[in-house]
Amino acid sequence: MNKEPGMTLIVKTVTRISVWLIILYGFYIIFHGHLTPGGGFGGGVIIALALLNVLLAYGKDFTRKWLNIKLLENFESSSITLFLIVGIIGMAVGGSFLFNFIDKGTLFNMLSSGTILPLNIIIGIKVAMSLFLVVLALAAYNFDKGDEQ
Amino acid sequence: MIVYLLCFILFLVGIYGILTKRDLIKIILSIGIMGYAANLMLILFAYRNNSIYPILSEGKAVSQMVDPLPQALVLTSIVIELGTTAMLVALALRLYEKYKTFDITKIRRLKG
Repeated sequence: MNKEPGMTLIVKTVTRISVWLIILYGFYIIFHGHLTPGGGFGGGVIIALALLNVLLAYGKDFTRKWLNIKLLENFESSSITLFLIVGIIGMAVGGSFLFNFIDKGTLFNMLSSGTILPLNIIIGIKVAMSLFLVVLALAAYNFDKGDEQ
Repeated sequence: MIVYLLCFILFLVGIYGILTKRDLIKIILSIGIMGYAANLMLILFAYRNNSIYPILSEGKAVSQMVDPLPQALVLTSIVIELGTTAMLVALALRLYEKYKTFDITKIRRLKG
């Protein structure tokens, strides 16, 4: 009926409100990864699903305009280098890979895990960006061309 | 013992789907079911009766907990399964782009 891509107005409005809440929940899961169940992988998947929500509701052309895909690719590539840098710093300070060089703090506090919190954040960025970019690459297939059976 | 048998039946459901279905998407879902059955089996090996989950939280007494090593292993397995599923979906989409069908009996012009 309507010519614009994506789903109906109801889905678009609900997505516009809920995508930020889902991203906030993903950040909560990542930042509390050392205290509660969850962590970098789970929170990253939640953030990627929030972005996929936009992709499903608005279509791929809008998503490519709304998000800076090149920036997301750079995040995805550089996060694993950051992980390596944290590991190498541990090797330089303590003598083994991923040695804990940050103060551990008191138990059950937010900053009570040493290097686990930055590593969780790095893993969360990596998982969120790579999962979203995989599905975006799958959505880029053009089914109009190709020969008939 | 009965839970391991039920887990194996879930694995057999996956094999049944791979062998009998003709739709590529259903085959990919069956491979996913097989993976879930394998993960569930590993988690069930680590289960102990009257145990808590292996996370220390505030105000909770330290008591007997389930084995956390297979859970960490299964997390890795889930990630690998995600990658293989994404690759299978990409291959299925390539086939659909060329043949305009997901039916494996109609994909027969593989030569030339």
